[in-house]
Amino acid sequence: MTTWEPSAPALSVRQVLALERVLAGEPEVVAGARRLDRPVRWVHVAEAADVGVMLSGGEMVLTTGVLLAGDEDKQAEYVRSLHRAEAAALVLGLGRAFPSPPDVMRRVAERCGLPLVVLHRPFPFAQLTEEVQSRLVRRKFAAVSLSEAVRGELTALITAGAPLQRLLDEVARHSGCPVVVTNLAHRVLGTAGERPAVDDVLRDWERVARQAGGGEGDGWIRAELGGRGERWGRIVLCGYRGDRATGRLLADRAAEALVLHRMLGGAARSWEEQSAQSLLTDLVSGVVPARQLLPRARAAGLPVNRRTFVPLAVHGREAHRLDRVLRLLGLSGVVAELAGGVTTVLLSLARDQDAEALTAHFAARLRSGPGAAPVVVAAADERTAFDDVPAGLREARHVVDAVAGSAAALDLPAVVRLGDVHLRGLIRLLRDDPQVQSFAERELDGLLCEPDEDLLSVLRTYLATGRNKSRTAQLHHVSRPALYRRLEAIQARLGVDLDDFEQAASVHIALLAHDAQQQ
Amino acid sequence: MSPVIRAAVFQTAWTGDKESMIQVHEQAARDAAAQGAHVLCFQELFYGPYFCQVQDPAFYAYAERVPDGPVVKRFQALARELGIVLVLPMYEEEQPGVLYNTAAVIDADGSYLGKYRKTHIPQVKGFWEKFYFRPGNSGWPVFDTRAGRIGVYICYDRHFPEGWRALGLAGAEIVFNPSATSRGLSGYLWQLEQPAAAVANEYFVGAINRVGVEEYGDNDFYGTSYFVDPEARFVGEPASDKETELVVRDLDTAKLREVRDRWQFYRDRAPGAYGPLTAP
Repeated sequence: MTTWEPSAPALSVRQVLALERVLAGEPEVVAGARRLDRPVRWVHVAEAADVGVMLSGGEMVLTTGVLLAGDEDKQAEYVRSLHRAEAAALVLGLGRAFPSPPDVMRRVAERCGLPLVVLHRPFPFAQLTEEVQSRLVRRKFAAVSLSEAVRGELTALITAGAPLQRLLDEVARHSGCPVVVTNLAHRVLGTAGERPAVDDVLRDWERVARQAGGGEGDGWIRAELGGRGERWGRIVLCGYRGDRATGRLLADRAAEALVLHRMLGGAARSWEEQSAQSLLTDLVSGVVPARQLLPRARAAGLPVNRRTFVPLAVHGREAHRLDRVLRLLGLSGVVAELAGGVTTVLLSLARDQDAEALTAHFAARLRSGPGAAPVVVAAADERTAFDDVPAGLREARHVVDAVAGSAAALDLPAVVRLGDVHLRGLIRLLRDDPQVQSFAERELDGLLCEPDEDLLSVLRTYLATGRNKSRTAQLHHVSRPALYRRLEAIQARLGVDLDDFEQAASVHIALLAHDAQQQ
Repeated sequence: MSPVIRAAVFQTAWTGDKESMIQVHEQAARDAAAQGAHVLCFQELFYGPYFCQVQDPAFYAYAERVPDGPVVKRFQALARELGIVLVLPMYEEEQPGVLYNTAAVIDADGSYLGKYRKTHIPQVKGFWEKFYFRPGNSGWPVFDTRAGRIGVYICYDRHFPEGWRALGLAGAEIVFNPSATSRGLSGYLWQLEQPAAAVANEYFVGAINRVGVEEYGDNDFYGTSYFVDPEARFVGEPASDKETELVVRDLDTAKLREVRDRWQFYRDRAPGAYGPLTAP
């Protein structure tokens, strides 16, 4: 015998009674009308007084009551035994045994909350069992095949190395509603589904997620994510419109797949990182107005109400290190390494906090940690409007790009801002301009046609130090006469006089443009 | 008093020695102050390992006088320098052989306000505390600090609703619950009991748990420190379950009034009927 699984797809008592073949028997619900949504697992025809012991729950029992007629105690006990066996409903065919609904049975059924249905017209029970049974089997088969299909698709995606987003998209395609994955703190790690619907769900996520903690009546179906005795998240189908059992099945398959994905992903970037990365990428790219990303930012754990935002870009430290320092300092922010190898940070501070001082504190803590590479922390001015954040993020990235290559030679402040990068910033912006490129080639042709890294490097230092010969000699560990010889060689090859300010400036700009293109 | 208290808790792993542990906490206090925190509470027995995983008299040496010992003095100076209220859960020696699990409370001007001594002392596997501590005898003090009225309820205490209530009756606005608790043992309680206490007593609770596995046993301390408001909502996210973390949160005390206007638990409690609770 199969065990009774409440989650298996089933027809409800109400649905059975509404079947066309059943309607022919003129069913009337005479008791337990409030329980008609109970699932019917099976239909059982039984003319036995002790039918209760044969049941395992969820059955709709059909009887003519021929063994019960005339004995009210027996009738009452019969109903009670069905109730104890958790039968779904009792259907009594009126006829010789009971010409009308028996009062005792009706009263007891009402008291137990067991739906009691009488059929006013003679009705071949076999038709009903056949009809219901075949529907149930079809449904079960459909559920099993859906379950297998979903599992197959998700497993194929996982083995093909698909990212989390692809899995979620697939789940959303099946469920037709927004799908949200969160950690235990209700922080959203991933979403899928139609954008407007997802945004609606995320708008007030924290509150909604906590309130919807209880029942699944509103179509919220959740499955826990975890393994090896540890829970670490959950997946939620938000407002699933199909029947609950199918939704349950989808959620369970999705949860299995996500657990597998995470276990196989192992050392790869965590979902938290992926979610931060996709948020910051979308912010920086500007393809979606920042305002529309607010729900996602909030759901990803970034406080956004009445906050000051500080856009930062960092070179020389990995994203997870930055994340650690943020946590260590108790600062709220999202961190991700974006395309191009620059790590981007968006800090969210309370309005009364000193953004400049905290940014400096953050930079100092970053520098004091282990790590050999020089750290460059670039910041854009703080913003109070979220709409201004993308421009700030781009500005910070621009600043870090402009100085990252030559951070050691330049005397940079702890937090570099647009004002500190001067000409380098401008050249960086213009580096892809063909006119600038041909200008740089023309000006430096004498050195570039036969590349001499030593001469280029001396020239770079000489110009960066403001044509300070003793400093340049010192930095290159050469004597002054040796430096003079190199400078003469440079001047000869370029055909310029570096003592002439305008010619030197022109070579300097060309060299900056050349370096910017090399990055 | 400002209606918003910027409060902080700090969770960290055992570094291996007392001095570096103290330095980590000094830095945390500086970080918290840099963010404008008004008050910061450390984890239980903050400058030591959680030695109660074993029963070894060698660890009695971690106990210090409160407030006359060097650690309290050191942090009094730091509190004065940074202008921050500090709650220091530590091992206290009242006199040789008389030891308590204590928290000292230092006001933002560096003055020592008093101490709370842990009342309920556990004795279960991995938490052999009766070996180290006498049950506290401090009653239920609430300290009127520059950051608001603060109570402390240490670790195992939190399983007993009576102390939470006593702190509420004494006017606490925030109760800190510094702890050292292990994954398998209390995971299912950690986000249940303190929020329930916050609701029942209508104040904020700051819960702190250390992180990591230490050399004295298998206890896997799971951090997850957090603040919870009088409606049982976490204020921001709970901290990491593995990493050192400073949690700084704004606690809006207007919420406390709002909730107490809605639910008059303090008015409707019936102390006259509670006699059996205190019968020995």
